[in-house]
Amino acid sequence: MTTSRKTVETLSNDRRMSDETFITLLVASAAVGVFVLASAVVPNFFQPLNMLNLVTNNWAVISLGIGVTFLLVSGNFDLSVGGNVALAGVLAVWLAQSADGAHALSTGFGLPTTLAILLALCGALAIGGLNAFFVVRLRVPSIIVTLGTMMLARGIARVITQGSQRNTNLPDDFGVLGNLTLFDTAVKLPVVLMAALLVVAIVVEKKTVFGRLTYLIGANPVAARLSGVDKARHVTYLYLFSAAIAGAVGILLASEFKSGFSNRGMLMEFDALVISLLGGVAIAGGFGSVVGMVFGALILAVVTSAATGLVLSPDWQFILKAVAVFCAVTTQTWALARRHR
Amino acid sequence: MSESSPAIPNRPACGPRIAQFLRTYYIYFVLLLVVAVLSMANLDRFDLFERGNFLNPNNIINILRVSAPLLTLAGAFTLLMVSGYIDLSVGSAMGLSAVVYALLAINGVPFLPAFAMTIMVGAMLGAINALLVVRLRITPVIATLITLSLFKGLALLLVEDGVSAIKSGGGRSMPAWFNDYGREGVLLGLPMAFWVAVLVTIALIVAQSRTLLGKYAAATGGNPTAAKLSGINTGGIVALLYVIVGITAALAGIARSSFMSLGDPLSGDGMELTAILVVLLGGTAFSGGEGKVLRSFVGALIIMALTVGMLTLVPAYYQTLVLGTALLAAAASNHLVSRKETAS
Repeated sequence: MTTSRKTVETLSNDRRMSDETFITLLVASAAVGVFVLASAVVPNFFQPLNMLNLVTNNWAVISLGIGVTFLLVSGNFDLSVGGNVALAGVLAVWLAQSADGAHALSTGFGLPTTLAILLALCGALAIGGLNAFFVVRLRVPSIIVTLGTMMLARGIARVITQGSQRNTNLPDDFGVLGNLTLFDTAVKLPVVLMAALLVVAIVVEKKTVFGRLTYLIGANPVAARLSGVDKARHVTYLYLFSAAIAGAVGILLASEFKSGFSNRGMLMEFDALVISLLGGVAIAGGFGSVVGMVFGALILAVVTSAATGLVLSPDWQFILKAVAVFCAVTTQTWALARRHR
Repeated sequence: MSESSPAIPNRPACGPRIAQFLRTYYIYFVLLLVVAVLSMANLDRFDLFERGNFLNPNNIINILRVSAPLLTLAGAFTLLMVSGYIDLSVGSAMGLSAVVYALLAINGVPFLPAFAMTIMVGAMLGAINALLVVRLRITPVIATLITLSLFKGLALLLVEDGVSAIKSGGGRSMPAWFNDYGREGVLLGLPMAFWVAVLVTIALIVAQSRTLLGKYAAATGGNPTAAKLSGINTGGIVALLYVIVGITAALAGIARSSFMSLGDPLSGDGMELTAILVVLLGGTAFSGGEGKVLRSFVGALIIMALTVGMLTLVPAYYQTLVLGTALLAAAASNHLVSRKETAS
């Protein structure tokens, strides 16, 4: 409903800010609000290091959120990212482990680290390709497809690691990527990559034809088809894009811990979805932004770390997440409805 | 989805009769095939009905006992999906019910009141979903994702810190009757939990084929606008179905909790995926409008036979892979069937 109104607005050259800017501002002020509240209520919350940690601790989920946001904007789910994180990490470790291990879990293929990483990325891309095939060619609803590939990816990771993890017999250079610190600070490479990826994603989203077509496909698939947009190819790219990010995240995590763990990335798909929703991305497609998603991630990070600061049991995080998403979804709907009254 | 003609329940037979026959009864052939393969697999080591082989009566009884939670859920979940809605919170609802039931039992509440109260809790959880989806108009996927998180958090909070589940120990112990519901054979060696699943399924089959609930659910899923315009209270139907799913989730939680003799808040994790899988396996169209309770029940039998029977052949860590592959295969075959129907 909101999207059709938005289109009308754009056509009539309305001077007011767009709904998207409005929601992003709303989410940003909510993020600032919970931050101020947490600083006032939670002891030791307001510290520079803590603020930096809010972002750096969440680099994995924010990175995954980029791909997930783009797909949601185009009207598709991607719940396979968590499983893909596990698969890519396990594959990279398996391929890089030397071939002369004492038992099955310490024996790999002994490939050079670079090649192992590239092949692991290909594995992740294959899952993305599978998603695209089922969603685009077979027209199966994306939520069902990506739940299936989530299990498939994690299932393969579990078989490779025999249900646990591989962490022995790895070459020394395997642990470099995930632990590399840059510019003589404590900021690690994955965080910098996340920041770079965010910048690229925002430019693509706002300034390129590809980005704007993503909105068109999500907002009005029929109009998109009638204006000659190759929706199949576009959505395929988006799934490959999201899978590549998930693969990279998985490999970086595997490198950071020097292990391929089949349960890594559990529930990350839900967290990536949750931060997108908190950030104002509409599940029906055509609405939302990467910037909003980042603010959504900040809200979630502040809320959960404040809960930890207040010495609530970690079990509270599930209820807090539920309440946050509920408030976000209802407030956004209400605010948009009010705006258009 | 946009291409397919608006789904009409009980659409007339089309295509050659053999294809029609296969479409209706394929699920039984799949079940036969799975059972046949699993019973052949260990023949070199054991006789057909010997202990250690799939067809050993004790093994069959064991599989049916373990299947009770999924068998209970499958039917209600089918009706919900037929009406075009989904519930991702069933696993969490099941875990929460298991914890509530175990808590009541360990604090001295007798069987029947504990049972009834847990079912009421389940109905309430379903009503919360209905409230979010029908009243507040939140998309089903998001609404039930919210409650997935909420129910799981509540279940975890009900279990005190430092222990993973409600169980005997620390001066408290589970009452003697606690295991009976899920383990003690009452008829043909099968426990109450299994027979309750059968009763629930029969009730839902009757509801689907003989009452307006089934017709209205199909109408709501097939074409919501048309259903509403012809005076069907679609919101009421959907709310009722969410409550029924909540009740069956509670029954599933009780069955699981009684079988394991503990109240584990995570005991239902992943149940939503398995439920979706068996419903798709049963041929229910994901766009709603079509689907049969009985076929999902058989689908649940197939999945349980497969996952439990597989354990004698390959290590347990193959399970996720098999379930994921089965889900994609079911989705693909659903697509092929529905494409044929639209083509002819």
